[in-house]
Amino acid sequence: MHTEQHPALAAAAEGPAAYRQYARQWLRSHLPEHMRADSLDYRAPTLDECRAWEASMYEAGLAGMTWPTAYGGMGLTLREHLIVNKEVGALLMPESVSSIGKELAGPIIQTVGTEEQKQQFLPRILAMHDYWCQGFSEPDAGSDLARLRTKAVPEGDTWRINGQKIWTSGAAKAHYCLLLTRTGTVADKHRGLLMFAVPMDTPGIRVVPIKSIDGKESFAEVFFDNVVVPDSARLGAPDEGWNAAIRVLSIERATNRMYRAWRFEAELRHLVAACKSDPALAKLLDDGHHQRRIGEVLGQIDALKGLVEHTVDQMTAGARIGARGSLTKLFWSECHQAFMGLALSLVSQVTPRSSPQARRARKAFANAYLYARAETIYAGTTEVQLDIIAQRIMDLPKDLA
Amino acid sequence: MSMQDNDLQPEEFAQAAAEAIADAQARGFRETGQVLAAAGLCGVCAAEEAGGLALGIEFALPIVTEAGRLRLQWPLLETLLIAKALGTSPLAAELCSGERAATWALQGSLQDGFAGHARHAQQADWVLVADGRGGGALLDLSSVETETDEALDPEHPQCFLMLEGAKVLAEFGAAAFAALQRDLQILVAGWAHGAAEGALATTAGYMATRVQFGRPLSAKQAVRHHLAKMRLLQEAAGAGIRRVLRADEFGGERGTRAVLAQALDSAAFVLEKSIHLHGGMGFTWEVPLHRALREVRKFDAAFGAGALARQAGRDFIQSV
Repeated sequence: MHTEQHPALAAAAEGPAAYRQYARQWLRSHLPEHMRADSLDYRAPTLDECRAWEASMYEAGLAGMTWPTAYGGMGLTLREHLIVNKEVGALLMPESVSSIGKELAGPIIQTVGTEEQKQQFLPRILAMHDYWCQGFSEPDAGSDLARLRTKAVPEGDTWRINGQKIWTSGAAKAHYCLLLTRTGTVADKHRGLLMFAVPMDTPGIRVVPIKSIDGKESFAEVFFDNVVVPDSARLGAPDEGWNAAIRVLSIERATNRMYRAWRFEAELRHLVAACKSDPALAKLLDDGHHQRRIGEVLGQIDALKGLVEHTVDQMTAGARIGARGSLTKLFWSECHQAFMGLALSLVSQVTPRSSPQARRARKAFANAYLYARAETIYAGTTEVQLDIIAQRIMDLPKDLA
Repeated sequence: MSMQDNDLQPEEFAQAAAEAIADAQARGFRETGQVLAAAGLCGVCAAEEAGGLALGIEFALPIVTEAGRLRLQWPLLETLLIAKALGTSPLAAELCSGERAATWALQGSLQDGFAGHARHAQQADWVLVADGRGGGALLDLSSVETETDEALDPEHPQCFLMLEGAKVLAEFGAAAFAALQRDLQILVAGWAHGAAEGALATTAGYMATRVQFGRPLSAKQAVRHHLAKMRLLQEAAGAGIRRVLRADEFGGERGTRAVLAQALDSAAFVLEKSIHLHGGMGFTWEVPLHRALREVRKFDAAFGAGALARQAGRDFIQSV
C-alpha cells in the first residue's frame, strides 16, 4: 500500500501542475527506449518486460489512481487519473497487458465483490501479479448477451460450469477469468446471469489460441468442461452482480483508456516526424490534400479531448453520465481507424532507401492499421454504439406514442 | 459587471438570448438590432464605458449558438465582436445601443482594394476589413461600392466590396486584429454548431412522428443510425468548441483553426442529412433548414472551403 510520503501523493497534494510534472518526468525518464514505438531501437517487448514496466509505473504511483488505498490504489480523483492518462498518451508506449484486470475486473470487483474478494484480487491486479481475461462473448452471443449459453449449476458449496467462450483476449496468459454464465436457460435472456472469478488453472479449462489479423495469438477460444469452482468464486448473486456490473461498465466505457486522444496525437506526431525525415515522404506533406487531412485529424483529436475532459468535469461534479461513454468510444474508434488509413497511405511510399525513421514508421503503422480493424468491433461495435446513442441519448421512439 | 461580481454563468445567457432573438426575428433590420441591443446582446463583450457588459468571449458563445439555432439573419456575432474591439470609443456605444450594425468582410483587404464575404453588408453601417499589413480597419459602408453575391443565398446575399476611397472609421493593430480573428473563429464555430443543433432537433422530432409502414421513421435502424451519427458529430464539435475556450495545461491559448474546420464540416453534414431525412419536404422551402445550410456554406467559403484545415495541418507539420 502506498503511504502519504509517496512522491506521487506529495506531488498531487501540491496541485495539478506539480502532479503533471511528476508524472511527465517519471514516465519520460523511465520508459525503456526499446518500448517506444517511434524509437529506432524499438523491438516488440516481451510479456515479462511489459509486466515489469507496468509494475514500475504502479510503484511510482501511476496506476490505480482512483482505486481506494485499502486495496492498493492511490485514493485520488478522476482529475489525477486524467492527468496521468494525458502523459501516458503522449508517449508511444505499449498498451497495457493487464487492461482487463485494471479496467474491467477491478472496477467490477470493487462494486460487487465481497471484502475478502477485494483484498484477494485488487492489490494483485495493480501490482501486476495477476492478469485477467474477459469471458463474456460466445460463438452465438457477441453483443447480444441474452443469447449466452455457458451454464453454471449449483452443487452444494460449488458451481459446475460448462460452455465455451470466444474472442477472449489474453486468455493464454491470464491467471483469472471474469466469467459470465447463466443459471437458467437461454429463454431467460438477461435474467439469471451470474459472474465468477475463475482461476484459469482450474481443471476442465482449455485455451485454444486464435490467430488475429495482426499475426498475434492473443485471442483465444476457452472451453469450460465440467469446471467446478467454489461458491467463493461467485461475484455477487445471480442478476444482482451482473446488473451492478452493467452500471460499472457504462462508467468504465467513459473513463477507461482515457489516454487515447493524447496517444492519437502522439501517433500523428510520429507519422509526420517520420515523413519529414525522408525527402520523398516529406514531399507528400507539401501536398494540400495531405495537409488538409492532417488538419481534419487535429480537429477530431481536439474534439475527442474535449469529450473526455467534459466527462471528467461532469463526473467530478457528481453528474450521471449515462450512455455518454458511447460517444467517446465511437468517435475515437471511427476517427482513429480512418487516420490509420491515412497513415498507411503515407508510409506505403517507403522503400529500402528511405530513412530509418520512415522504415520504422512503415512497420509501426502497417501493424497499427491492421490492428485498428478491431477498434470498431471490440467493446461494442459501431452499430451497437449507434443503437445506444439513438435509444439512450436521443430517446428515439420505435413505436407510436 | 463581471462574472466574479455576479457569479454569472455563460450558459445562463442562452435562454435570455433565445427569447430576444425570437422576438427580434420578425422585425426589420434596424428594429432587430434595437431588440438585440436592448437585451444586452450587442454589447455583451464591449467595454462598460460604451454601454457593454465587458464579459469574456465565453459569454458571447451561447448567445451566438442560439442565433445559429434560430437562424438569425442579422450580423450579431460581427457587431458584438467589433463593439468589443472598439474599446471605449464612441463608435462602440453606437453598436452596443443598436443604433448601428457592423459586419466583417472575411476575405480581401484594404491594401488589395477589394474585399468579400461580408454578411448583410447591404443593410449594415460599417464593415471590418483586413488592412493587408496584419491589422484591420473599420470602414463606413456608405463610402464603399458593394456588389452582391447571390450564388448561395439570393435572399441574404454576401457582398463584394470595392474599397478604393473608403472612409476609415477606426484602425486596429496586428495584435488586436489577431485576437479578434481568434474570437471570430470561435463564434462562427458556435453559430454553425447552433444551426446544426436546431436542425437536428427538428429532424429528430419529425422522424419520431412521421409514420410510414405503420411505424415512425425513427423505428428504422438506418434512420436511427443517421440520427445517432449526427448527434455524435454535434457532441464532438461542441466539445471541441468548449475546449478551445479553456487555456491549455500550461496556461497557453489553444488554436482555433482545426476546431472551426471541424465545426463547419460537422454542421454541413448534419444540415445536409437533416434536409435529406425530411425527404421531398426538405428539398422545398416548406422547412427552413436550407437557410442554415446556406449560411454555414457561406462561412465555409469565406474561410476558404478547406483552407482552415489545410493551414492547421501545415502549422502542425512545421511544429514537428
